[in-house]
Amino acid sequence: MRCALLILAVLLVFGALDVTLAQPFGMSRTPAPPEIGGFTGWILAKQAEFYRMMSGTIRAAKADGSAAWTLMGISFLYGIFHAAGPGHGKAVISSYLVANDETWRRGIVLSFASAILQAFTAIALVGIAAVLLNATAKTMGDTVRVIEIVSYALIVLIGLRLLWVKGRAFLALLRPKVHDHQHAHRDHDRAHDHHHDHGHDHAHHDHHHDHAEEASAWGHAHAPEPSELAGRHWLRRGLAAIVAVGLRPCSGAIIVLVFALAQGLFWIGVASTFVMGIGTAITVAVIATIAVGARGLAGRLAKAKPGAGMILVRGLETAAAVVIVAFGALLLTGYIVSERMVGV
Amino acid sequence: MTIRILLLALLTLLYAAPVQAHPHVWVTMKSELVYAEDGTVTGVRHHWAFDDMFSAFATQGLESKEKGKFTREELSELAKVNVESLKEYGYFTYAIADGKKAPLTDPQPDYWLDYNDSVLTLNFTLPFKTPVKAKELTIDIYDPTIFVDFSFDKKSPVQLVGAPQCKLDVQLPREMTFAEGKALAQIPADQSNTTMAWGAQFANKILVKCP
Repeated sequence: MRCALLILAVLLVFGALDVTLAQPFGMSRTPAPPEIGGFTGWILAKQAEFYRMMSGTIRAAKADGSAAWTLMGISFLYGIFHAAGPGHGKAVISSYLVANDETWRRGIVLSFASAILQAFTAIALVGIAAVLLNATAKTMGDTVRVIEIVSYALIVLIGLRLLWVKGRAFLALLRPKVHDHQHAHRDHDRAHDHHHDHGHDHAHHDHHHDHAEEASAWGHAHAPEPSELAGRHWLRRGLAAIVAVGLRPCSGAIIVLVFALAQGLFWIGVASTFVMGIGTAITVAVIATIAVGARGLAGRLAKAKPGAGMILVRGLETAAAVVIVAFGALLLTGYIVSERMVGV
Repeated sequence: MTIRILLLALLTLLYAAPVQAHPHVWVTMKSELVYAEDGTVTGVRHHWAFDDMFSAFATQGLESKEKGKFTREELSELAKVNVESLKEYGYFTYAIADGKKAPLTDPQPDYWLDYNDSVLTLNFTLPFKTPVKAKELTIDIYDPTIFVDFSFDKKSPVQLVGAPQCKLDVQLPREMTFAEGKALAQIPADQSNTTMAWGAQFANKILVKCP
């Protein structure tokens, strides 16, 4: 079990490295020996299939209103598969949850909020640029590129902030003698944060306890400053993550919206985009829940083995923060491409 | 045990495909290999028809005299943007002459876009850096990141223009069957994909053998 968690921590880092090395266009031009990525390949094939079905259904909806319902079904499935395939959203959200030690409920809220925001930005972009201003695809593409930079920069900032907090906690744990006051303070503060939550949510009773004990392993107990507490409400803290992930609209949604507009059915495109968002949210929420579950196991382990366990937990959190920074930096520098707007 | 499986599943989902996108653009191609009188191949001429969704997207906001119709002139600026942005991706065209890479250069300036029945078609010629004379010439057309899905036109995929006695063979990328998709889904989740192989696997191949 512990072994599995260690592997997880190592792989989190290696996963990030792997991303660094894989360059979309730096490949050799001779075809590599065929090697199909099982699960990935299947997901890619599926979402392409659903996406392809959309154009025909939108056309059909022009003459026959009932086709709109079919379109909603397809959009939903597309959303589910789309989120399981490419995209950095799930990786950033999951890593964020692991690093911050959030609950699965919060994970679901963050997943839904970011996916719905993503639908909103696509609709806002096409609504303003194409419908109101009759802007060209190039203008929209350029706008997306600007949004992208802001979004990726935000991911880097979130990651760096987490790395600062979690990395220091991790290092301090490795050198227990050089235990700085400030950082113990912060951790206690976190325990308090959970306590605060406890009032609203009884289901998290256990969780609260976990953390109280986990934090008590630090040995210091100070009352946090009230001002500090207010600024640390989880949703407010998570807002940055929601915005970072949800800001960049999905290329597919933009194309569907413009196509629907060209058919004189913009509102059907809008509905389809929201349904896609719900599908996306479900997938991201499932993955986020698994991540939180894994993190929870690590927490329980830490309780059983106060010394090594805590190192593992803090190491995991630090690794998750590193993953966020890596993702953001690679996206920002263009080493990995989340999605592109080609030819326009 | 279940925990390990859970962790592996999580890792696969997170990292298996962060680089990939699924196709957002579909292109139906007709291609021509242009031969010189001396029997060398001077270039590849492409006619790429985009899918209706992308065609609608790309023409959004473009000015035209007649609503819903675009002339070659009205599309000239878009054609320029298209061709220039394709440079970054090597025009998705990879040529190999007798086992060696045969570099292609930027398109001739006579490229153009046309618009018929809501379908946008990009026409351009990629010259070889040096005209190629090869016993076996292979041209692969694919997007390694599969953002663009290429497939040959069913009726007339490839033409040899002015070719000597050569044998032409066109290989279509294989399509994934339902059974295959199902089988793939059952491959253990920890076997991750080499990102690039996926695109190459679905390459469209032109194979020309000359005596």
